[in-house]
Amino acid sequence: MTGPLIRLEGVHKWFGDLHVLKGIDLRVEPREVVVVIGPSGSGKSTLLRCINLLEEPTSGRVWFEDVELTDVRTNLNEVRTHMGIVFQAYNLFPHKTAAQNITVALEKVLGLDHGQALEAARQELEHVGLAHKADAHPGQLSGGQQQRVAIARALAMRPKVMLFDEVTSALDPELIQEVLDVMKALASEGTTMVVVTHEMGFAREVGTRLLFMDEGAILEEGDPRETFEHPQHPRLQQFLKRVL
Amino acid sequence: MWEGSMAVTGQPDSQLDRLESTAERRLARSAAMILGVGIASIVLALGGTLVSTLANGIVPYQRLVEGLRSTPTEVILDVGLGLGAVAIALGFAMYRRMPTKRSREQSIAGAVLGIQAVVVGLIILVFRTFGDPDLFIKLFFNAGILEGHLGAFVRGALNTIILAVTGELGGIIVGLLLAMLAMSKRAVVRAPARVYINFFRGTPLIWQLSVFYFGFAIGLGIRPAIDVGPIQLSSAYTIAVIVFILNTGAYAAEVFRAGIQSIERGQLEAARSLGMSYPQAMRYAVIPQAVRRVIPPLMNEFVILIKDTSLVLILGLATGELELYTTAREGYSDTFNASFYTAAAIGYLAITLPSIWAVNRLERRLRSGLVGVGA
Repeated sequence: MTGPLIRLEGVHKWFGDLHVLKGIDLRVEPREVVVVIGPSGSGKSTLLRCINLLEEPTSGRVWFEDVELTDVRTNLNEVRTHMGIVFQAYNLFPHKTAAQNITVALEKVLGLDHGQALEAARQELEHVGLAHKADAHPGQLSGGQQQRVAIARALAMRPKVMLFDEVTSALDPELIQEVLDVMKALASEGTTMVVVTHEMGFAREVGTRLLFMDEGAILEEGDPRETFEHPQHPRLQQFLKRVL
Repeated sequence: MWEGSMAVTGQPDSQLDRLESTAERRLARSAAMILGVGIASIVLALGGTLVSTLANGIVPYQRLVEGLRSTPTEVILDVGLGLGAVAIALGFAMYRRMPTKRSREQSIAGAVLGIQAVVVGLIILVFRTFGDPDLFIKLFFNAGILEGHLGAFVRGALNTIILAVTGELGGIIVGLLLAMLAMSKRAVVRAPARVYINFFRGTPLIWQLSVFYFGFAIGLGIRPAIDVGPIQLSSAYTIAVIVFILNTGAYAAEVFRAGIQSIERGQLEAARSLGMSYPQAMRYAVIPQAVRRVIPPLMNEFVILIKDTSLVLILGLATGELELYTTAREGYSDTFNASFYTAAAIGYLAITLPSIWAVNRLERRLRSGLVGVGA
């Protein structure tokens, strides 16, 4: 199939009286790394969470490949196995070891047997440089290590797209780089990614497309380097002046 | 009070080295003596009097009375009172002048122990002198009259435990199911669970027992008596178990709901984003964490239930089915002697104190993070 992996059409999201997304249209093609930047409260995270329907759009439609997620008849559990998401707060299961965090969904959702699941967990932990922490509980890991385990947990499902929701925002400055390095490596392997971030250096260097959001709308879109050097929209010019 | 003085005396007084004059050092050391006097006063006034009284024997009860009135008991009590007075006078007179934090705390602790010794000692003294120890001990601490009832009390304690444990375990299962329903996103599913929970939490347990027993069993003739081989239970007993389960279920449901809702939303989202269904996410991610948080409140509910099992007094239980309270009441109505109630109190405390101790220990461990959410 050659169409876009992800397609959003006219997505609106209201939280009570708050209009968080105001008609988002978006397509993500295979092997793209779409970086989303914008001020706090601009709706970036909500947009990301609407892609795998952790947030249900108030109106509008969302497709993954040719499956419409906003159709109530769609089995979301099945579709979600193809979309990995990594959260700002890691959200590892604190009662399980790093390896168990990864194996639980492999066994209970994908139906792998325990040996296969463990082997896959070991592989993915190695992928993020944490094979030696397989038996550690999240409480025994640094923030950066926890976030890498969270990435490994998502990758182990062999997703077709990875969603990153401000994954370095909760980290101490000296731990940010190790997580960004893992994400860079993923991008260079050709993983399709949608990355909500405040890391402008990463956005410029790794992104294949940049989206600038403010007040629930995508105000500018383009090649990251080009856009960073010649921002067109006054809001983006203003935003970049403040963060760079 | 012991914990307090332990904290004070536990480690060497680091401030002592800083003191320069020998007078100050001597003062600081005398604080330990004040504390010692305070400890001695309470040990004598409370422990000494008790031991000296009991040493005379407890059966027949007259021996207890003699023990209380004996000269050794009198001497011990008076010495305890005297030491208490000394500790109060010295402790309060000197604590302001004490040069270190530790010596200051020691003087205060000594004086406070002295007050406790004097209060306890005076109560005993007044009781001994102006009261009627003979009648009091005969009515409340008459061990002789309990002779031959030991078996009944053991059976009573056993029934109390059976009622409370089955009520709690059954209640936990009912409660977990109710909590799941009560947390549904669908109002039509939530509503019946809410009605159930609010009804059983909103009406007295004794009312529930009455309606189920007198209303359903006697009135409507629904008699859930059990007679399977060695297990023979009257309708009243079975109904008591059912009502305890239904009632505890309502309280446990609220405990579970609070516990599950206290788990960060991100845990559920992480599990769902990996493709787990809602029940799978609950089972593998949320509930294992919630269980740790609900154990202390559930055990508190259990302690309350242990005592509430006494409400079966309104039912017509068979002789072998009596629990602690009804056993005591039976004995009392035969003899009009309250020593049976004293025995029941000892029975309840023997069951509840270890449970309370276990809850406190567990809570401390959970708080200190030794178990933590991650262990």
